[in-house]
Amino acid sequence: MHEFSIAEALAAQVALYAPAGGRVLEVEIRVGALRGLEPEAMRMCWDAVTYQTPLAGSNLLMDARPWSLACPACGREWESPVPFVDCECGEQSPNPTADDELLLVAISTEDDVPAGTAASTEAPR
Amino acid sequence: MSIGPNASTRLPIEARVLDVNDSIAAETRADLGRRGIFTVDIIGAPGSGKTALLEATLRELRGRRHPAVLVGDLTTRRDGDRLARWCDRVVQISTGQGCHLEAHQIREALKQVDLEGVDLLLIENVGNLICPVGFDLGQSVKVGVFATTEGEDKAAKHPYLVQSADLLLLNKIDLMPHLSFDRAVFESDVRLLNPNVPLLDVSATTGEGLRAWLDWLDSTNV
Repeated sequence: MHEFSIAEALAAQVALYAPAGGRVLEVEIRVGALRGLEPEAMRMCWDAVTYQTPLAGSNLLMDARPWSLACPACGREWESPVPFVDCECGEQSPNPTADDELLLVAISTEDDVPAGTAASTEAPR
Repeated sequence: MSIGPNASTRLPIEARVLDVNDSIAAETRADLGRRGIFTVDIIGAPGSGKTALLEATLRELRGRRHPAVLVGDLTTRRDGDRLARWCDRVVQISTGQGCHLEAHQIREALKQVDLEGVDLLLIENVGNLICPVGFDLGQSVKVGVFATTEGEDKAAKHPYLVQSADLLLLNKIDLMPHLSFDRAVFESDVRLLNPNVPLLDVSATTGEGLRAWLDWLDSTNV
């Protein structure tokens, strides 16, 4: 299950980028269709990997990018979650392309430090 | 924005999740490139004949090329032992629970091989058509192995391997008369996903088609 290795790598990346002290609430990733990442499996692995760590309970938001399809017969272009689909015009072999991007897009952290304290002025790194 | 307790701050990042793996792979690629070693990552399902294909390949390359082999498996040294009969530079990598090889495992395994004089590094990945594909190892090329016994739908079901492979081998071609494998469907699925990838029919056991595979290895450079 490659979701587990990816979740481990993601947790390490999040730990690297998350500002010190702020509890991580949400982690956003963007995943190209070529990666074949199952959102359900990915969330399960994320929960397992972050269990009893400072990231425990954080919510993984996965933006699963679709396949792009181009019909060689009628020229129609559209997106689909699966690569092999017929075109509306009846053409059975539209060309499927997809990206293999796998990006940590953003981290949302809880602001539990009262405004005006020294800690809140620390720049995230 | 910090507007008091329970508010949250969203920090945009845009970083590659597998950045650490990819960095190690890039170092390995540069090192192997400097040494003039052509590196092949061989990916296929369990039972597709990867080890048999490597045995036949090593046998044919004797006296002509100077290969080293890394072979990944969850457990056992059986594949490594089989390959060691044909090549004196073989490292078995036990991945434990890991369903694929990662760049750091290749870096560590390479420390156990004398690379002096080596011109070809063959990496047999863990038997799996999905997980290994997304992990860069520092290879020069990626070769996908399918087998006629797996059915003609395997290319369509594994688009990442088909789209990212530099060469595809269809193994166990000698068994075609005994199977209902529809080669036309297999090939049209491959072509839809990757119009230009070379696709070679081979049989590791009879030797059919091996010449074209060996020629491809010889003519494809670092």
